[in-house]
Amino acid sequence: MIVPYGNVLLLAIILFLLGAVCSISRRNLLMILIGVEIMLNAAGLAFVAASLKWRLLDGQAFVLFIFAVAASEVAVGLALIVYSQRRTGSLNADQYNQMKG
Amino acid sequence: MQPNWVDILPLILLAGGGFLVFCLGGFWKARPQGLLFAVALATAIAAGAAAILLKPDQTHFLKMVEISGYGRFFTFLLTLITTLSLLFSYQYVKLRGIGGDEFYGLLLLSGLGMILVASALHWLVFFLGLETLSLSLYVLIAIRKPQSASNEAGLKYFMMGAVASAFLTFGIAMVYAATGKMDILQSLSPNIQAVSSPAMLLGLSLILIGIGFKISMVPFHLWTPDVYQGAPAPVTAFLATGSKVALFSALLRFAFYYARNSVWNDYVFVFWILAFLTMAVGNITALAQVRVKRLLAYSSIAQMGYLLMTLLAVREGGVLAIMFYLSVYALMDLGAFGTLATLSEEDEDLDSLEDFRGLAYVHPWRSALLTVCLVSLAGLPPTAGFIGKFILFRAVLQSHFVVLAALGIVTVIVSIYFYFKIIVALFIQPAERKPVTPDLDLFARVAGIAILVLILWLGLLPSALLSSITRILPLSLQLG
Repeated sequence: MIVPYGNVLLLAIILFLLGAVCSISRRNLLMILIGVEIMLNAAGLAFVAASLKWRLLDGQAFVLFIFAVAASEVAVGLALIVYSQRRTGSLNADQYNQMKG
Repeated sequence: MQPNWVDILPLILLAGGGFLVFCLGGFWKARPQGLLFAVALATAIAAGAAAILLKPDQTHFLKMVEISGYGRFFTFLLTLITTLSLLFSYQYVKLRGIGGDEFYGLLLLSGLGMILVASALHWLVFFLGLETLSLSLYVLIAIRKPQSASNEAGLKYFMMGAVASAFLTFGIAMVYAATGKMDILQSLSPNIQAVSSPAMLLGLSLILIGIGFKISMVPFHLWTPDVYQGAPAPVTAFLATGSKVALFSALLRFAFYYARNSVWNDYVFVFWILAFLTMAVGNITALAQVRVKRLLAYSSIAQMGYLLMTLLAVREGGVLAIMFYLSVYALMDLGAFGTLATLSEEDEDLDSLEDFRGLAYVHPWRSALLTVCLVSLAGLPPTAGFIGKFILFRAVLQSHFVVLAALGIVTVIVSIYFYFKIIVALFIQPAERKPVTPDLDLFARVAGIAILVLILWLGLLPSALLSSITRILPLSLQLG
């Protein structure tokens, strides 16, 4: 490999942290979803790097499944978000605080 | 080794039944009423029967799914949970017009995901099972679209669940990066040199966080009361029991494998703190609740705390205790939330403690079942909850975690107060407002009687289940 393994792993960790910060600190529902996608892609990157390091293909196979799962997660999530946005007119996570106690 | 497809018949049945329900719902508009329910129920029962009757001669299917002992035990338990949830939900969803193909189909697929999670031997199967389970549950929780609470609960569970599963996926990636193994047992086994490398530790803690979200371990429990309150009551019953049993059985499997390393001792204190916090926060916050669903949500957090405490004893007898208590917990919570579903009014679930006043005089049988479940949750004899807690605490004491066990017993005593708050409400002077509750239908009656009998039977004669768990345990978890 031209790029050292450690660097790719570090990049994956940085990407994951960016996604985590995005999904935890932002209040916009869509931004949270984007953060989740970035985290999943960071996992994919780490899988590919590790798969190359161990010279095994199963890590790369895992990435294909991550793509499929991420797509279905977005499908369900966007349906929920669009319906909620139509009902309340807001994408702000803090507006959804009807239940308390 | 030639794979034998009959060995995974429960999984095939659940997947096939789920897709059949979707096809019937989509293409046969003039179908007889109740057909979808009948198909779903038959599928769940057939899967449960297959799990019990089939005796596979291998322990695993392609090293992906465990089909003996531990895996089969949880396959049966989870199909039982699916069946009982279906029985409780028939009338509920019919009256509210949400009993389409999506409800029954997703319930079966969610059950399939739970079984995959509980019996996974491969990280990929675990990941896919978890996603099948979660994606179906997101929709099931939000299925009462016009009701804003249901929608909000679905949205909250989705946001939390998506973040949690992203954490978990990255955790699996880190474990794979550190060990190069996709096999769960091999990646956690002592002969891997990387067992205490930074990547491995990062991976394992992220996996713990991801599972912690799903089993509502403190401090990742904040979604629990809102989601339990907003979701339709039969879905709450399914969510509170099925997804927690599945994820906890996976956590127990990981802990069991990892505890064979000597590094496990260095992390015991993490579980000590988490278990204590979960028990304490769950039980103490429940004291202040005036809504029954939220109260039961905090109670289920506390129950997870007792189980986490026993995870410390995973090397000595903890596995047996946790498997027994998970079965008991599933029955108790299904009974409590299921009764809530049958008692609920049409436009909103029965929730406020005020509405429960005097219900025992109007609906004696349902109140009796609710009382037995609550007494069992509180851990008083002669119910299964007492025996279960007794075995849990005995296992913890045998592993010399005396302080934690003592603190746990204090929280159990505190918890008796809020369980009896509901029971007392059932039996005092009736309230002004009389909730209009539908009559009990046949299916809910069957489920209620089954739960009542099982809780009392396991409470009085626990040896049958205990000896069968002891018999299957040595055969399993040792693969590789």
